[in-house]
Amino acid sequence: MGLKVPFVTSYLSEHFADDSTVGIEGYERRGGYAAARKALTQMTPEAVIELVKSSGLQGRGGAGFLAGLKWSFMPKGSDKPKYLVCNADESEPGSFKDRILLERGPHQMLEGILIAAWATGAEKTFVYVRGEYAFPADVLERAVGEARAKGYLGPKVMGTAFSHEIVVARGAGAYICGEETGLLESLEGKKGQPRKKPPFPAQYGAFGQPTTVNNVETFSHVPHIVKNGAEWFRGFGTEKSPGTTIFGVSGQVRKPGLYELPLGTPLEEIVMRHAGGPLPGRAVKGVIPGGMSMPILPASQLDTRMANEFLRERKSMLGTGGIMVMDDTTCMVRVACVITYFFRDESCGQCTQCREGTGWLHKIVSRIERGAGQQADLDVLLDVAAKMEGSTICAFADAAAWPVQGLLRHFRSDFEAHLREQKCPFPESFEL
Amino acid sequence: MPKITVDGRELEVAAGRTLLQALDDAGLLMNGVDVPHYCWHPKLSIDGSCRLCQVEIEGQPKLQIACNTIVADGMVVHTTTPRVQTAREGVMELLLVNHPLDCPICDQAGECKLQDYAFEYGVTESRTREPRRALKKRVDLGPTIVFDQERCILCRRCVRFCREIPGSGELTVQNRGDRSVIETFPGEALDNPYSMNVADICPVGALTTKDFRFKIRVWFLEDVPGICTGCARGCNIHLGVANNKVYRYVPRRNDAVNETWICDAGRMSYQRIGAPDRLEQPLVRGALPVLEVASGEAAIAAAAAKLSQTLARHGAGSIAGLASPHATNEDLFQLRRVLGGLGAGLAGVAVVRGESDAILVHAEKAANAAGARALGYPDAAPLVEAIRAGRVKGLIALGHDVLDAAQLDAAAAFAGLEALVVLDSHRSELERAAHVLLPARVAAEKRGTLVNCDGRVQRVVPAVEPAFDARDEGEWLQQLGARLGLAGFSDAAGYDARAVSRELAKSVAAFVGCDYDAVGLAGKPLADAAPAQAGVPAPGARA
Repeated sequence: MGLKVPFVTSYLSEHFADDSTVGIEGYERRGGYAAARKALTQMTPEAVIELVKSSGLQGRGGAGFLAGLKWSFMPKGSDKPKYLVCNADESEPGSFKDRILLERGPHQMLEGILIAAWATGAEKTFVYVRGEYAFPADVLERAVGEARAKGYLGPKVMGTAFSHEIVVARGAGAYICGEETGLLESLEGKKGQPRKKPPFPAQYGAFGQPTTVNNVETFSHVPHIVKNGAEWFRGFGTEKSPGTTIFGVSGQVRKPGLYELPLGTPLEEIVMRHAGGPLPGRAVKGVIPGGMSMPILPASQLDTRMANEFLRERKSMLGTGGIMVMDDTTCMVRVACVITYFFRDESCGQCTQCREGTGWLHKIVSRIERGAGQQADLDVLLDVAAKMEGSTICAFADAAAWPVQGLLRHFRSDFEAHLREQKCPFPESFEL
Repeated sequence: MPKITVDGRELEVAAGRTLLQALDDAGLLMNGVDVPHYCWHPKLSIDGSCRLCQVEIEGQPKLQIACNTIVADGMVVHTTTPRVQTAREGVMELLLVNHPLDCPICDQAGECKLQDYAFEYGVTESRTREPRRALKKRVDLGPTIVFDQERCILCRRCVRFCREIPGSGELTVQNRGDRSVIETFPGEALDNPYSMNVADICPVGALTTKDFRFKIRVWFLEDVPGICTGCARGCNIHLGVANNKVYRYVPRRNDAVNETWICDAGRMSYQRIGAPDRLEQPLVRGALPVLEVASGEAAIAAAAAKLSQTLARHGAGSIAGLASPHATNEDLFQLRRVLGGLGAGLAGVAVVRGESDAILVHAEKAANAAGARALGYPDAAPLVEAIRAGRVKGLIALGHDVLDAAQLDAAAAFAGLEALVVLDSHRSELERAAHVLLPARVAAEKRGTLVNCDGRVQRVVPAVEPAFDARDEGEWLQQLGARLGLAGFSDAAGYDARAVSRELAKSVAAFVGCDYDAVGLAGKPLADAAPAQAGVPAPGARA
């Protein structure tokens, strides 16, 4: 069946067009599981962690935390069972890379999990798959069955003394279950609400045991690093952000799709060249660079290179690499309405600032869009966003505050036009 | 032990404690070091969600919540910086975005932490122009509690309480975000023996007890420290008093006894103070075989006469004493002295037993059974047997617990007594056999000490004055002793329970150092009692 969306490929998605590599036979024919065999039989767990650390692999789930460093937090010599969790919840609007990694490269991810399990001493991995991802979850379950039949899972993996099991768990549908501790609660059958930290998952994770949580894509990079070495990996991307990532481009462009490109690729190249640029007769107005929770960039900043060290200078972040393009018909107040509604709806409601702040932001921007805004509202928006930021159990409140801050930073004139005209001045914009 | 500095004050604190716990341990929390908080409660697991307790810690870029920050040696904490103040203002403003402005009709007004903290730490003007969320104002959660969804600030103390203390877990948070509401699980009611504590720990007027709501404005209430007399646990309470009436009991924190809780039965036992079956007048059985109202003087005279006659006819040892497990140690010490003066033979105490649990409720349904035993009163069974067998001719009975404890038919069992003098706060079947009945005060009306089931001596003070001529048992006994001409008794100087308490502490070894003044508000273990232990298990680790 192949891959139907436009895509650009590198090592992660190299075989995605080839249906036969989804199954274990095809995957092994292309050299699959050699990296896992190498790690388990020729490398100590410490050596694997060192290798991943020196590769500089950043977590691809949004926060960009160094994967090798995270693995090293797992307690050593503990008699408690240790777990890995693969975060396949992919709930960030604008992100759809993990879906393709699950559907087209399940064994690539499983191999990465096996290597990480060996490195951290984990006896079991829970893969938490977004509830709506029924098909990817089916593909993954089939792959787990194949790996077990081959002796790559279960007792004595690949004939070594190491044992590992993988459990595929399906989510029940909440954005916040993509936050690692919210995910753990949901995995345990509880309401998906992030846990206060400390304790961190490495001490008290899934079912109270030491746990490391990594994203689908993060695991998927690992076999390539083990196979080719840290230096090879550092040959992609920038010095601080090595490797490739799969950018998912959506919105008002000619070729929305998936593009595996080195980190640090200029946004302009992705939007204008790979994704084909705006629709005929339109111009790009703003681009959300990394999933809906990341602050928007105006068209004038399309030169930004897509890696955290550059995006931070522009007060945004790479997030999940989900790029959403909006053209010049777009009303940025309506964008704010959509975004604030989403975060209001999805806030778990634990922390005061998030529970009350998300609702307040949404009510204010909706009123401005209705034409009943007042000048003071803009200051209140920024002030409420500032109070939400950095002061709650998890980063959700930041994720809800940043887009509003970004929109007001770059498109304040859209808001002011609403205040001035007491109606929405963008009749051609998408409907709410 | 780690040393930390809070607002320039050096503190040595136990390792592994959080900042709020350490401040609480030191007695400084909201009492020298103000770190306002909603979701944190000293006896519940840490939630970390209200975000009000943020403080500045040197070396940490972000403000930290004091409830979930473990102390570390050398930690320097600031609780009053502009950053902290701004953060508090932010939380207070956001908490008020959806809170209804119904303080004038809210029962919590006056003891509301939202009012208090908004005044202390909030901003003066509201910036919200949006409609507040409209929710149900009167949700019947169960037999004891009514819930106002709009007022709830979702601190979830009640949810954690039900899970961690009674273990019944009836409550949960339904929905999410700003649509979150506390609810019982479908088909369930909030119904457990400790349910009313949720109203105490609710910082706002969301959870109120059906018993107390709308009875009185709390600012009219005086909180009088006292002891719950529902069982032998002796939970520390505040009696809410106004107009010479007790309106409610609320728990008073004592980590050695009841932590911060009381059971519902104990809470409702305030109703016994003003109950319609109070014994309100001295009664004397005269020439006719009916009880007649008498003055206190006349009743004492009649009691003394009856006892003297019995003593003259049957000799020393024919009179016995029955101690009440509800009376104070001072009352019971007075009884001991009177019995000694009369050369009495037997004495005992009868205690009604009932249900108990592993939290607070004790099987002995009286507040001072341990005190009676410490004062040397044995179990009343041999005494009851001697009365039945006719070997006892005269009896001074404090209270009527013996009827239920020994399942006695009063008329039959006491028919053979030639003198039955009853000192009692409430009416009972003893009236059918008594020759003299003297109205006694209850614990809420007197000064004295009680010993709880763990041997802890605790004190009570008069919270209300009875509207009729009820006196401490000790006072009646003082007058009776004087009337009988017993050595050491005089009613000339009036009755002073404090003086009796000092005398008791001098003459009974177990009570050395445990007189009324020495035990203070927190109580003190009996001299030879095992160390008191907290009655409540530690709150569960994490829900």
